[in-house]
Amino acid sequence: MKPAAFEYHAPRTVEEAVAVLAARGDDAKVLAGGQSLVPLMNMRLARPRAIVDLNRVRGLDRLGETRGVLTIGAMVRQRAAERSALIAARCPLLRDALGWVGHPQIRNRGTLGGSIAHADPAAEIPAVLVALGGEVTVRGPKGARTIRAADLFVTYLTTAIDAREVLTEIRIPAMPRGAGWSWMEIARRHGDFALAGVGVTLALRRGAIADARIGLTGVGPAPVRAAAAERLLTGAAPSEDLWQRAADAVRGAIEPDGDLHASADYRRHVAGVLTIRALREALVRAAAPGTAGRRRRTVT
Amino acid sequence: MKLDGTNALPAPIDAVWKTINDPEALRRCTPGLKELTATGPDRYQATLSVGIAAVKGTYAGTLTISDKQPPKHYKIVLEGSGGAGFMKGEGIVDLEAQGDETLLRWSGDIQIGGLIAGVGQRMLSGVGKMLIGQFFKCLEQQFGAAAAPGGTGERGK
Repeated sequence: MKPAAFEYHAPRTVEEAVAVLAARGDDAKVLAGGQSLVPLMNMRLARPRAIVDLNRVRGLDRLGETRGVLTIGAMVRQRAAERSALIAARCPLLRDALGWVGHPQIRNRGTLGGSIAHADPAAEIPAVLVALGGEVTVRGPKGARTIRAADLFVTYLTTAIDAREVLTEIRIPAMPRGAGWSWMEIARRHGDFALAGVGVTLALRRGAIADARIGLTGVGPAPVRAAAAERLLTGAAPSEDLWQRAADAVRGAIEPDGDLHASADYRRHVAGVLTIRALREALVRAAAPGTAGRRRRTVT
Repeated sequence: MKLDGTNALPAPIDAVWKTINDPEALRRCTPGLKELTATGPDRYQATLSVGIAAVKGTYAGTLTISDKQPPKHYKIVLEGSGGAGFMKGEGIVDLEAQGDETLLRWSGDIQIGGLIAGVGQRMLSGVGKMLIGQFFKCLEQQFGAAAAPGGTGERGK
């Protein structure tokens, strides 16, 4: 299968990329890792007139931490992030979620920025971004702007990023020190898109939950942050009964679609079950030594 | 794929009936409808460009209105095909006067086949619902209301 003819642009700087996008607008697509866009083009379901390839743009593959916030260049490969000591220490939820993105071959090419901008409703990275309250920087003809995760994902394959803008950086607050975490997902086969997936972080203080985050994928047009369940957990003492109530709150907060692979009811059920499992695992990790906060000091 | 829903429109039943039979209103409110040309009474040639983000397909087909029982019932059939696949949609629309407002009940069955159905299966019903939702939201706006109570209560299968 071969794509329909397109114009190929290989800018060296973000400014050049933005200039092409400004001129071509809706006719252009940004190419990052190409793991979703290229198959769509080969099947001719997508026929962009112009491709703006970011692979030669310098400076978009930096990975660092500034004042407790992870800064991830849009072109950081998923595999590089998955193997990064910094991410393992400061945001193990992201590392674990990345293990569910396609297969290693896909992650070698796929980028964090590409996954976020593509906004597949069953993708893992957007759910982590939403759960942890991250944000992205985009640059367009009018300059740079920041979009919070909560405002970023609009619906299926649609974000608040304009066709003339390019995503340049992702910022994810590091998990609270000592926080436990868990990513749980059900897919028909490993590497398939999630039927449902959930990411959880739990921070404890004197036996009570000081901070809880829950983000879900595959259960609607866009990733969901389960705010009601988070409120219910915060301040409470961990218990199986509490997990059950959090799962009910999650089920009430989602509006999944049904398809050939799983009905809407099944997805809702599974989202609750996964929430309970994730809360259990996160609690064990929050209580155990060697969690995010402790390891942080030895890793640069 | 079966879909249905109910919308409360802030206009009397005769005005709603007129609008849902007006090719210009249909053209304005159907997402992605590029052309709608009358080829006979209640028969139109349609060109649609529908999809989401970069995944868009152009479909050429026909739109037919039948089983008319003014001012409260009709059936609308949309058939089209294009490079990405084919689709056939049948919708039944029932209007019920409720004072100065009109309750619009619709149910439809959409079949989508070909490449787009194979690859896009995961998102088809959701995107279908979203597009139908846009159609009714646009109709509501035709009657000058910001948001009518009730909204679109779809129950997808």
